[in-house]
Amino acid sequence: MNNEERRLADVMHQVTPDPPHPVTVEQVAYRLVSEPKLGRQSRQSRPSRPSRESGRGREPRARRGGLSRAWAPAAAAAAVVVIAGASAGIALLASSHHNPPPSAGGAPASSSVSSTPMSGSPAPSQPATSGTGIAGAPWGAQLIDHQTFVNYALVSSDGSLYTYGNGTLDRIDPATGAVAATTRYDPPLSNPPVIVGNTVWVVWSNSGGNVVLHGYDAQTLAQTASILVPAAGRVSNVADGILVSGPDGHLYVAAGVSVVEVNPASRQILRHLYLTAGTASSLAISPDGGTLYVGIGTSDSFKLLVYNLAGGTIENESTLSSGGGAGDLVATSGGLWGTTGSGMSEWTWFAPGGNLARAVRVGGGAGGGFDAVPSYSGGVVWIGGTQSLSCASAASGQVLATARVPADHGDAEFVSSPVVAGGHAYTFFVNNNATGQSGLAQLTPPGACSGVSS
Amino acid sequence: MDTLTGVEHLAEPDGFRNFVQTRSAALLRSGWLLTGDWPSAEDLVQTALAAAWPRWASLRRQDAPELYVRKIMVNTFLRWRQRRWTGEIATGRLPETQAYDVFAQVDARQALLAALDRLPPRQRAVVVLRYFADQTESQTAAAMGCSVGAVKSHAAKAMARLRDAPGLSELLSGGVTS
Repeated sequence: MNNEERRLADVMHQVTPDPPHPVTVEQVAYRLVSEPKLGRQSRQSRPSRPSRESGRGREPRARRGGLSRAWAPAAAAAAVVVIAGASAGIALLASSHHNPPPSAGGAPASSSVSSTPMSGSPAPSQPATSGTGIAGAPWGAQLIDHQTFVNYALVSSDGSLYTYGNGTLDRIDPATGAVAATTRYDPPLSNPPVIVGNTVWVVWSNSGGNVVLHGYDAQTLAQTASILVPAAGRVSNVADGILVSGPDGHLYVAAGVSVVEVNPASRQILRHLYLTAGTASSLAISPDGGTLYVGIGTSDSFKLLVYNLAGGTIENESTLSSGGGAGDLVATSGGLWGTTGSGMSEWTWFAPGGNLARAVRVGGGAGGGFDAVPSYSGGVVWIGGTQSLSCASAASGQVLATARVPADHGDAEFVSSPVVAGGHAYTFFVNNNATGQSGLAQLTPPGACSGVSS
Repeated sequence: MDTLTGVEHLAEPDGFRNFVQTRSAALLRSGWLLTGDWPSAEDLVQTALAAAWPRWASLRRQDAPELYVRKIMVNTFLRWRQRRWTGEIATGRLPETQAYDVFAQVDARQALLAALDRLPPRQRAVVVLRYFADQTESQTAAAMGCSVGAVKSHAAKAMARLRDAPGLSELLSGGVTS
């Protein structure tokens, strides 16, 4: 290098400004999965062999025709990129100021109707509380609270029931049916509350490029945490059930074309799984924590990706033969459960091993503005809706017992998928034609629903 | 279990994050010299890193990740110049205006970019690789997929043009006033 060249080098180093933004691994990963051809570009532009460097002054002709034969087998589009151990921090949001929670209204029903317990666990030896019988309702449903919840999801944990609706997140005492704690919450989508330890996690917002989670004390429902999970791309506009937890207590969040694993204790992102198959609309994790199911749904199609969580590898990909929707996924030992369709045409399916090619219909669905999201509680899977109420084997998907959901003057009544708390089964029952005939109900399922088949 | 089609799994390669964190600023500055604006520079660097990702382990074994990334950057830049309409400069900031010309750094920066804009793409790439990225002639030749002789030729022609570039000739003889 002569003096003039050295001077040019100095000038370039002195005047070239520092970049305004760094490049991040997440940006690169997003580019890679959103533009799969970039991953193949490296093969098109392999470094020259060393012998070329001492060539005879003739520039090599540019390769035509894309991939070389040697690289062709490896040129399939990358569907998944796993960033293991990603250290991208999660921004902690300042606690938002909530309006004072509304008072818990509604008194427990006073009339007493005895119930017949089902045989075996989770059948109670004594009814938890007395309730009001519902004419024609399945499995001896008794209203134990007449609040007009707008609920699609009921979750049990440590002897309490959690649900949301009417602008609140509520903890319900199953012994009385009364709301024991409440806080303001407007759910952006249908997602059952996720309880990890002493914290109830919900999806606070799901729009644009972020998912925001809020955590609440499981007893008082006082807000204790807020986590911003950045999405890769935009979040799904048909999402349901995008927040789940694994047996290790980690949270998994569908965030655009990625699934983000979060340690809720440290508020740190542990891993990103990037998808090229589309935008994640629903998640589920197998009970052993080994498998992650990712639904990629649109209004008219539904694809399922099955991951081995330990290795972050994809094990299967399948597509529902007809119907779309978010998925509302629930995983059990035998496979995956979900819903498809919308309105009165919604129905519930079970896919053995998480293979949609083998999916079978197990429930009639809901409609009328309700969801028949399956619930896995007490060792069996429950499927409510506006047509039927069923329990099914978590291992085989076999329907163990079914009861018809009645109609009132032609209007469908609704029974949410039950959950078990303290040895009793609970559901939300809705009859829009009869005042005071909607609310939290206790069920007495038949013995076949005892969970022995799970 | 169904057979997967068109699917493969890629994990974040060992050392990739550290490389991105430590070298992206330098790569971006090279990208800025090649393209003349930050958005294009970021696009260039992201493209190169995404291309390097699938074969990162191999590149690390060869101890040549940065050489390879720079090679992708240069080749991508050359392809863009062939295919893209480059008359419009995307910028997240307003370009520096005459009012800022009182600052020597800005003067020098504009003079440098204007001078580089006078160069054909391959000459510009050689200048950036040789004199900014401090790569040897052999490394530059490998990155551009040409011979060392071609690199020398491109460099000589580029220096001749830069020598006559308004504003830059003074810098080459007198330096930059900070």
